[in-house]
Amino acid sequence: MAVREALLDPTGMDERATEDTLAPRPGSLRGLTVGLLDNTKVNATPLLQEIGDVLTSRYGAGSTRMYTKDYFGTPVKDDLLRQIAEECDVVVTAVGDCGSCSAATVADGILFERAGIPAVSICSDSFRMSGAAMARVEGFPGFEFLTVEHPMASLHAEQIRQRADKVVPDVVRILGVEG
Amino acid sequence: MTTVTTRTAEMPESEAPTVELDELRRVMEYYARQEWTDGLPVMPVTESYLAEFLATTRRKPDEVLFDIPHLNRTLTVRLAAINAALAGCLPEYFPVVIAAWEAIGQEPHPRRGIWQSTTGTAPFTVVNGPIRRRIDLNSRGNIFGSGFRANATIGRAVRLALLNVFGLRPHQLDQATQATPAKYTACIAENEEQSPWAPLHTEYGFDPEDDVVTAFVIRSVMHIEARHAQVPEQLAVDFADTIRRTGALIHEYSGALLVVGPEHANLFARAGWSKDDVRSAVFANTVRTRADLAAAGKDALSHHTRWRLPADHPDAVPDTASTGPDPDRVQVLPRPTSIQIMVAGANNAGVSAVVEIFGLAPRERPSSYSKINSE
Repeated sequence: MAVREALLDPTGMDERATEDTLAPRPGSLRGLTVGLLDNTKVNATPLLQEIGDVLTSRYGAGSTRMYTKDYFGTPVKDDLLRQIAEECDVVVTAVGDCGSCSAATVADGILFERAGIPAVSICSDSFRMSGAAMARVEGFPGFEFLTVEHPMASLHAEQIRQRADKVVPDVVRILGVEG
Repeated sequence: MTTVTTRTAEMPESEAPTVELDELRRVMEYYARQEWTDGLPVMPVTESYLAEFLATTRRKPDEVLFDIPHLNRTLTVRLAAINAALAGCLPEYFPVVIAAWEAIGQEPHPRRGIWQSTTGTAPFTVVNGPIRRRIDLNSRGNIFGSGFRANATIGRAVRLALLNVFGLRPHQLDQATQATPAKYTACIAENEEQSPWAPLHTEYGFDPEDDVVTAFVIRSVMHIEARHAQVPEQLAVDFADTIRRTGALIHEYSGALLVVGPEHANLFARAGWSKDDVRSAVFANTVRTRADLAAAGKDALSHHTRWRLPADHPDAVPDTASTGPDPDRVQVLPRPTSIQIMVAGANNAGVSAVVEIFGLAPRERPSSYSKINSE
């Protein structure tokens, strides 16, 4: 006797909920502390330093603090996340220019938003799809992150400055700076 | 919701079954549209079919077999079974799939995101023990080829779960630059019957009658063509030359699984060589000169990532060998046990293969294993 049966979902995705609320935005960076999270990929440090300098000189941020991840391929560990959330008002994290680190950089941004800290994740544009897929996996499918032109690892100082200049207007827009 | 008709009554063997083609095509296209495949058609899976898989193990359906914490995903026994059925496994293969996941879970790189990586590695499993014969796992001719249901579907069961449960899809979370054909499926059995040595799993202390899966994370499979070899020392040099190729070097050290054809294995054994003798002789030759590495732009390390790069790169720091007693000789393996040895293939030519094992830090043995528990 033939019976009709439903096909099963092999993903296990149905159990997952979304949580896609951004942290409250500050309106201005004036006097705020900007956390810079370096994932140790080549040229992440100078890119973040350049961005931090512009946020200080042009947008009035009070100070910047640089932090370093111990492994680029997985998201920021809990204790570092808590420390940054305590010491900073907003965070910029870079640079997701590989398979695992692009996803991890986007996951970091989402973790900071959920910890109440506005965050900007920066990947290289070759890894836009990986970042977007990670945002879906994390239950935050519309999470906005930025990309700079790939490759990052082989750039000289002047080229890094240009990448930073180009990306700063979007950094301040995502951080909710008005006017 | 898509439903399918299942029939428990057996068809007479001599008669080709008739089908309702529209429904079959609708089901296949449904799976493709959902992106629940690796590109090839999959077997439709329903609760009653799933129950046959779950009946082969004592493990509870909601037990976690493997997880990737940063992806927020866990693989339960139930999800592993759905994907094994989807891959075309028979229910009696499922205990092998479970052991494969247990072994993969002990490997350092899978849980840390290696299957998102541009490096493009694949899971690769080796099966030992009598279960090879019970489920017709191929260990002989065409060992890396197609045509064997158990090999094809057990390897595919792992890959489909990585795609479906962990979302590790190409162009999305899986950012492999090129990857490897092994990503469709990669499961082989040892040719224990035509090996002069004790099988791989007895090296971990198991009895030959135990069934065991060994898991590796691999990159390339390369053949050693040496059908006129007569001298074991020469054959060892031939293996070593492939292991030490500069293109394989990522960080300082590499790893290798020698899939030795029976003819080569017997050549070594006739000369009185044990597996450890083979290991030592190959290891003694997995050395590059400093000049070789400089010529390929790999004579130093990045101080950020420890990847090999040219000494004149701004991030370059010296490698470990350059501070040792003989800076001009660079050993590309951390230790002799970085070479694992098994016998597989047909006993019909002097052909073997080197499987490159992915690894960033030195380990005692570049693989993990788990015993198969059949009910």
